[in-house]
Amino acid sequence: MAVLKTVLYLIVYPGILFLFVYATFVEWFDRKVYARLQNRMGPTHTGRFGLLQPIADFVKLMSKEDIVPDKADKTLFTLLPIFGLAIVATAGLLLPVWHTNPLQPGFNSFPGDIIILLYLLSLPTLIFFLAGWSSTNLFSAIGGSRVLTMLFGYEVPLFLAVLSPALLAGSWRLAEIAAFYRQHPLLILPNLIGFAVALVCVQAKLERTPFDIPHAETEIVGGTFTEYSGKKLAFFRLMTDIELVVCSGLLATVFLGGFGGGIFLGFLQFIGKTLAVVFLLSLMRAVTGRIRIDQVVSFAWKYLAPLAVLQLLIVIFIKGWVL
Amino acid sequence: MKFSIPIGPQHPALKEPISLRMTVEGEVIRDADIRLGYNHRGLEKLAEEKTWIQNIYLTERICGICSHSHATCYVQGVEKLMDIVPPKRGLYLRFLVAELERVHSHLLWLGVAGHEAGFDTFFMYTWRDREIVMDMLEAISGNRVHYAINTLGGVRRDLDEGLRQKILSQLDILRRRTEFYIKIGANEPTFVGRLAGVGKLSKEKAMELCAVGPMARASDIARDVRRDDPYGIYAETPFEVSTADTCDVLGRVVVRVKELFQCYNLIEFMLKNLPSGEVKVKAPRRAKPGEVVSRYEAPRGENMHYIVSGGADKPERLKVRAPTLANYPATVEMLKNGFIADIPLIFAAIDPCICCAERTVETVDLRTGEEKVLRFSELRTLAQERFDKNPRKGTGLWPF
Amino acid sequence: MNDLDTIERIKGALGSRIVEITNPAPGRIFMTVAVEDLVSVMTNLKRDLGFWYLVTISGVDKGDAFEILYHFGYEGGNLNVRTQIPKPTGIDEVLKEKTVPHLPSICAVIPGAVLYERELQDMFGIVVDNIPDPRRLVLPDDWPEQNFPLRKDWKFERPPEVIPGGKK
Repeated sequence: MAVLKTVLYLIVYPGILFLFVYATFVEWFDRKVYARLQNRMGPTHTGRFGLLQPIADFVKLMSKEDIVPDKADKTLFTLLPIFGLAIVATAGLLLPVWHTNPLQPGFNSFPGDIIILLYLLSLPTLIFFLAGWSSTNLFSAIGGSRVLTMLFGYEVPLFLAVLSPALLAGSWRLAEIAAFYRQHPLLILPNLIGFAVALVCVQAKLERTPFDIPHAETEIVGGTFTEYSGKKLAFFRLMTDIELVVCSGLLATVFLGGFGGGIFLGFLQFIGKTLAVVFLLSLMRAVTGRIRIDQVVSFAWKYLAPLAVLQLLIVIFIKGWVL
Repeated sequence: MKFSIPIGPQHPALKEPISLRMTVEGEVIRDADIRLGYNHRGLEKLAEEKTWIQNIYLTERICGICSHSHATCYVQGVEKLMDIVPPKRGLYLRFLVAELERVHSHLLWLGVAGHEAGFDTFFMYTWRDREIVMDMLEAISGNRVHYAINTLGGVRRDLDEGLRQKILSQLDILRRRTEFYIKIGANEPTFVGRLAGVGKLSKEKAMELCAVGPMARASDIARDVRRDDPYGIYAETPFEVSTADTCDVLGRVVVRVKELFQCYNLIEFMLKNLPSGEVKVKAPRRAKPGEVVSRYEAPRGENMHYIVSGGADKPERLKVRAPTLANYPATVEMLKNGFIADIPLIFAAIDPCICCAERTVETVDLRTGEEKVLRFSELRTLAQERFDKNPRKGTGLWPF
Repeated sequence: MNDLDTIERIKGALGSRIVEITNPAPGRIFMTVAVEDLVSVMTNLKRDLGFWYLVTISGVDKGDAFEILYHFGYEGGNLNVRTQIPKPTGIDEVLKEKTVPHLPSICAVIPGAVLYERELQDMFGIVVDNIPDPRRLVLPDDWPEQNFPLRKDWKFERPPEVIPGGKK
């Protein structure tokens, strides 16, 4: 029974099948919100309200010709999309959507899983860099170097912002942090600065406007993905979608009180809260223009990092004097 | 480490083929080179073989966006050669279309600038409002892009009272929307951060390199053919030259938005003071021998047509100078020491119209490779070799 | 500043180098100079008289000579400086006797003129001496030599179309 449960966990919910379906839905949601904010229709034709459009795009890319450049490192070039997909799917398993009981640690919920999750979310950046570098295209190389440059900007504020609620809750385990905030809902309020900082950092991590610099199409064509086509590009796109789900899930867990109340209620909460986070991310994408790479780094260190430190100070203050 | 990146002939930032070769150090551009010749159609040669009337439609096809500009520039030159004066109403309608075209071109450019800066929402909004102008133009002339309203001696279609009122009422919408764009353009920090201080072109450099149009006006050179050398009805219309002194891309945005308001005023003036009467006079088939220089302020800068007539029903020589060509030397200057991220913005800031700038010769015959320039004939040989050597996948036949 | 004042100013500065100066229409001044005086006239026009804005350079094939026009824009009109260089007759003669038409470059005075001079080289086969960048501007790289499209004796012959891999 335990084996069946684990298999179900890995394959169906919240494993790869659920992640695939939900990631495509989130992509549809993001595209629709973005389009409506821009006075466009967005996907309309495939399925009801165009719901199947991301899946149709995925299938279409899977059936396209797959080209590997002559000069590229073929092994690396081929393996990177698979590794990337595996990494973000693994990160998806750590979200406390199934295993919500804070008293029972398991392979998918254990003290320190927030660190593992953050670490797994850092790896896609490295994957993108290697992808750009291994395709030996000029535009990809510039895109790859931009990915790394941006990493130095947003990674530290993101860690500070995400870890301060954990400090307040006094736990390194996602399920326990979520349970803590469900018990003390008012303590969500002091973390709002951190939530804002984390939202901006997640936007940068996901390389969406205003931080879509590594694949800014009007500057460096496709950026890191210039040479990717067919199945590999489909995998990368799916990887970005799943990363969006995982990042919004992480923010929802840490800042919005997680997904309590058993499997079904938890499932509904998961959908509602991640969509709320994704809506905020889409809003940010619609109302800003792309900034320059030097502006990203200076913005991150001038505003995001001090704000994250301020959040940390607030948390320490509350923990020392109020609780 | 220095390396050179090719922007174009095919690149997402370029709507038309041109090749920019950038030598970059990290993210900073050290040198730039522009290569033209991908879009030549042999227009000046062709014009020598067509009649005066046929050439109106030929010049209209020099450019898609400022089609009316080239046609008007040509037509008013030929009218001088033929010694005919179009009736007042015809002239008013001709320049009404011209100002509407300027509005549509500037709104289009604002959208493109937004897109190049990665601000797609701005792009979608301006292009939605551009539809209003396009609809007006369609109602006046019957066409959305090539209006074909000019003819020798006036215009081809008249305007009725209902349409006049409708355009006047829609102008208010456009005014309101443009005010909204000023607010966004001046307040959205990511957008301003991308535009301010980018693509500097000092006044001295702009004069030395003969920059024209909004480029020169953004470098504080108050030059506008409509005021300096008034043609048509511009001597009697109220109008100011818009300038900015920031010398950067933001200044070029400001100049264009200011010009939009001037255009709305001009359109309103023309519609309210529309004279009655005929819209055209009959033109002779032949022009007297002579030469004429016709100048016209297109949305992108000054158009100049130099027309020589030998007394026949065809021109001896038609020389076309489009504003984009005049702005290329200044563009190279602006690109130096900029960031890679600024290339599309700086290049878009001249509102490049490559098909305008290149009109003279027959075919497009050049493709660039990664490291060397491949001629088209060599490329074809290479492609054939590769096709012959590599076996086709599968049977190469449809399975059914 | 009306046209007569402008003409007087130009006459005062250039003196005997002007071969002819006319004013056929309001705001249009046509001036003829000898090709030897071209660069010095341009220098005077720009440095002393403030004609900094070169609109374009037009070439016209007059049959036995090339007429080159330098169009300047100024506040109030348009000044056209005309000069003529003799034209070698026939393409074969050019190949045999190497009598190519020469024109001095004005890029040292007006840097913005380089594109127009390159266009002249392409279109008329006029060799512009001392041009900073003599590459082709508009013609493709594999354009046959000694074909100058805007000369009146040039006719375009469409090469027979060959479809690669198609039927003979």
